[in-house]
Amino acid sequence: METQLEKVLSDIVTQPDTVGALLANRQGLCLGVKGDINPNVSGIGMAISDQVAGLEPRNAVAQPEARHPTICLYSGNRRCVIQRNGEITGVIYKQHTSAPTSD
Amino acid sequence: MSDDIKTYFNGLLEKVSGLHVIQITDRDGVPLLRVGQEKNVDFALMPSFIPTFTTACDQASKLGLGRNKTIISMYSNYQVVQMNKLPLILTFVGAENCNTGHILALEQQVDGYLEDIKQAVTESQTHA
Repeated sequence: METQLEKVLSDIVTQPDTVGALLANRQGLCLGVKGDINPNVSGIGMAISDQVAGLEPRNAVAQPEARHPTICLYSGNRRCVIQRNGEITGVIYKQHTSAPTSD
Repeated sequence: MSDDIKTYFNGLLEKVSGLHVIQITDRDGVPLLRVGQEKNVDFALMPSFIPTFTTACDQASKLGLGRNKTIISMYSNYQVVQMNKLPLILTFVGAENCNTGHILALEQQVDGYLEDIKQAVTESQTHA
């Protein structure tokens, strides 16, 4: 049943610099996880996505389907990317392999 | 001490959108702490509500999957997340579209704040 979901997760974690990925449903419950990432992050990732959507409330009216922006959180040598598409939220952990350029 | 705990749980209530009430009781349903102003969720304090969870939890522990930790009940207007932290029971009541995953992620965070209450309940039970 979840073969498709696992395939998507496998495709994500094979991307360069990616260490883990998970998908959450509309209730913030973890649907699937792959790699080095805590399944408990699903609810928090969705909560962050909801909070950040409130920064641009006009987007909700103009483009309801694009209400939730893609979020990138930098901490230490890791990055956390959160993206919501409809009822599904994806959280991806990436590890820096080289220092980011400052231009 | 209890003010600190109350402040902490009030903070949690604000952090999780759609969460109405957090309540800590003992396993018989005796209320120890309750935060939240929602008046329509008094069903969570009904005398039968918590003992029913305790019974369901005990039965679920017999399924061969290990000790039951959490029960999530979804209703048409509310959702109830109950956590088994014996001798305490933690009950979260939220809207039906509340972020269940966020509530579950609080489980590890609250442990430190429950230690004092756990100790008080254990002592009162041994003296009884």
